[in-house]
Amino acid sequence: MLLKLAWRNIFRNKRRSLITTSSIIFAVLFAVFMRSLQFGAYGNMLDNIVGSYMGYIQVHNKGFWEEKTIDNSFSVEEIEHLTSSENITYLSPRIEGFALASFKDESKPVALLGLDAATEKEHINLDEKVVEGHYFSAEHKGLLVGKGLRDIMKLKLGDTLVFLGQGYQGSMASGLYPIVGFIDLKTPELNKRTVIMNLDHAQELFALPGLVTTALVGIDGDDWQGAQQEVIAAIDTNALEVMNWQEMLPELQQLISVDKAGGTFVLMILYSIITFSLFGTVLMLTEERSFEFGVLVAIGMGKNKIIQVAILETILMAIAGVIAGLVLAFPIVLYFNINPINLSGQMQEVVEKFGFEALIPTSLDPSIALTHSGIIFLIVLVVNLYTIFKIKSLNPTTAMRK
Amino acid sequence: MIKVTDIHKTYDDGKVQVHALRGVDVEIKEGEFTAIVGPSGSGKTTLLNVIGGLDTPTQGSVSVSGIDIAKLSENELIDFRLNHIGFVFQSYNLIPVLTAKENVEFLMLLQKRDEAERNERTTKLLKAVGLEDQINKKPNEMSGGQQQRVAVARALASKPDFVLADEPTANLDSKSTANLLDIMLKLNEEENITFVFSTHDQRVIDRAKRVITVEDGKILSDVTK
Ligand SMILES: Nc1ncnc2c1ncn2[C@@H]1O[C@H](COP(=O)(O)OP(=O)(O)O)[C@@H](O)[C@H]1O
Ligand SMILES: [Mg+2]
Repeated sequence: MLLKLAWRNIFRNKRRSLITTSSIIFAVLFAVFMRSLQFGAYGNMLDNIVGSYMGYIQVHNKGFWEEKTIDNSFSVEEIEHLTSSENITYLSPRIEGFALASFKDESKPVALLGLDAATEKEHINLDEKVVEGHYFSAEHKGLLVGKGLRDIMKLKLGDTLVFLGQGYQGSMASGLYPIVGFIDLKTPELNKRTVIMNLDHAQELFALPGLVTTALVGIDGDDWQGAQQEVIAAIDTNALEVMNWQEMLPELQQLISVDKAGGTFVLMILYSIITFSLFGTVLMLTEERSFEFGVLVAIGMGKNKIIQVAILETILMAIAGVIAGLVLAFPIVLYFNINPINLSGQMQEVVEKFGFEALIPTSLDPSIALTHSGIIFLIVLVVNLYTIFKIKSLNPTTAMRK
Repeated sequence: MIKVTDIHKTYDDGKVQVHALRGVDVEIKEGEFTAIVGPSGSGKTTLLNVIGGLDTPTQGSVSVSGIDIAKLSENELIDFRLNHIGFVFQSYNLIPVLTAKENVEFLMLLQKRDEAERNERTTKLLKAVGLEDQINKKPNEMSGGQQQRVAVARALASKPDFVLADEPTANLDSKSTANLLDIMLKLNEEENITFVFSTHDQRVIDRAKRVITVEDGKILSDVTK
């Protein structure tokens, strides 16, 4: 019966109920879309940079991150036992070195990345990033060149690059390698300066037999903090350093938290507006109906029952609004997940300056929808405290004396 | 029985004090058909409110069916009103979103009576007030006279000891007034329902069996015909 009363009261003042419900619909739609876009952008950045390029956790020889020289190297054997841990799925050894690359009369300093072709194909799908030519096999003495560098140096498949640099402990590093493919590392910065070769050949080039500068630690799930602790506990931290992506890319971490805070601020404004609009509804509802509530109390209806009816009304509207908001948001979010938003103009410049792709697919994480539906219900409940207070302090004779 | 002993009611809004009742003693027995009359502002509404447990007297005691209502808590008073008093108001005050039938049924739902009893009683009462063909109408689809008859049926639904009606005919035309009084008298005579109503309408006063006249918060005369 209480439900029947609440339901009919909602339809009694259709216009007001519609305004209330629409404001909730709008809030849910806006909040969910905005957060999906934001978290989608972070997810995209993390995926491109962290997930499929540098890994969430890396192990280096102690001091390598400070001074990235070939001399700061170590043997992967020292940490091979890590893979027996449940949360650690694989290790990918790499050499990160520098050399001067020359083609015809053009020379550029490049970042030379030596890696295990099979491991990187299996775990981070590096092969899928090849945009021209083909991925290399383990024996291949070939190069994958960033597509940015291709454009700068006007390279073609089959061209041969000459490297000149410094190898292990002051030795000379030099060699000739053919280009087998061009690669898109999804960040313009990396594309402009990265050249990838097989780990064996990099070890040969830099005269680093059996040594690497970096090992990517592949983790199961996304608890990289936990995994980092596990790695730290399992290896000799006097000789090696264990870094997570936030330590390696503080700018990215900072960008994300600043952006998140901005989003939170916008949402707080939105939710304040919603709170006031809902409060306005509840205020009118209670004032307008105080006579009616007075009658109900007079004829013998308990105040708690009246409170239940009044709260049910707003909750029913909130449920309708939240559901409608989610139903409207879902196709929009899904659309932009499949067809990522391509930033243009200034935004694109800013994003690319930070080294990220200007493509933003929305996040489909259901926790976004849950969080914001939850917030709406919380607001509804808080706003209803006023109703509770008003009805509790209602005096039937005063309420009916008009 | 209603037993009111030396009640006073003073409204004090901080600035002025209004002595709405100043020493009222009265007894009303089951089966009466009693009018409380007096000019506007004489204290009729206040007296009915105090008897019905809607308002508490500043001084004095009120006992209804043996219950000393001055001692009841707010929630106990609500229950007291639900189970012992039926109210009819000047402006009908039906629940606007409920139909005639649902309005009558409402208090029985609050009393947790079972469905069969509710249906039977609702039908019987709406028939008694002559509205058996209007049961599914909402208040705004009925005339004032019809609404007030629904209100009488609602007041009776909870099987109260007393029905208190504050100026029940003040908003009605003379035909509806006569009709409502016919119904109330019939219920009083055939079902022994007790009615206590306030009025300043002479045609209503003429039909009361007992007339209590109040003025300035005191009883001026009390005549049983
Ligand atoms: N809630 C109240 N606050 C202040 N004064 C009141 C209140 N209710 C009634 N009064 C005053 O008490 C007096 C008696 O009122 P009431 O009982 O309503 O008279 P009646 O019903 O005979 O017209 C009037 O002067 C009225 O203004
Ligand atoms: Mg009055």
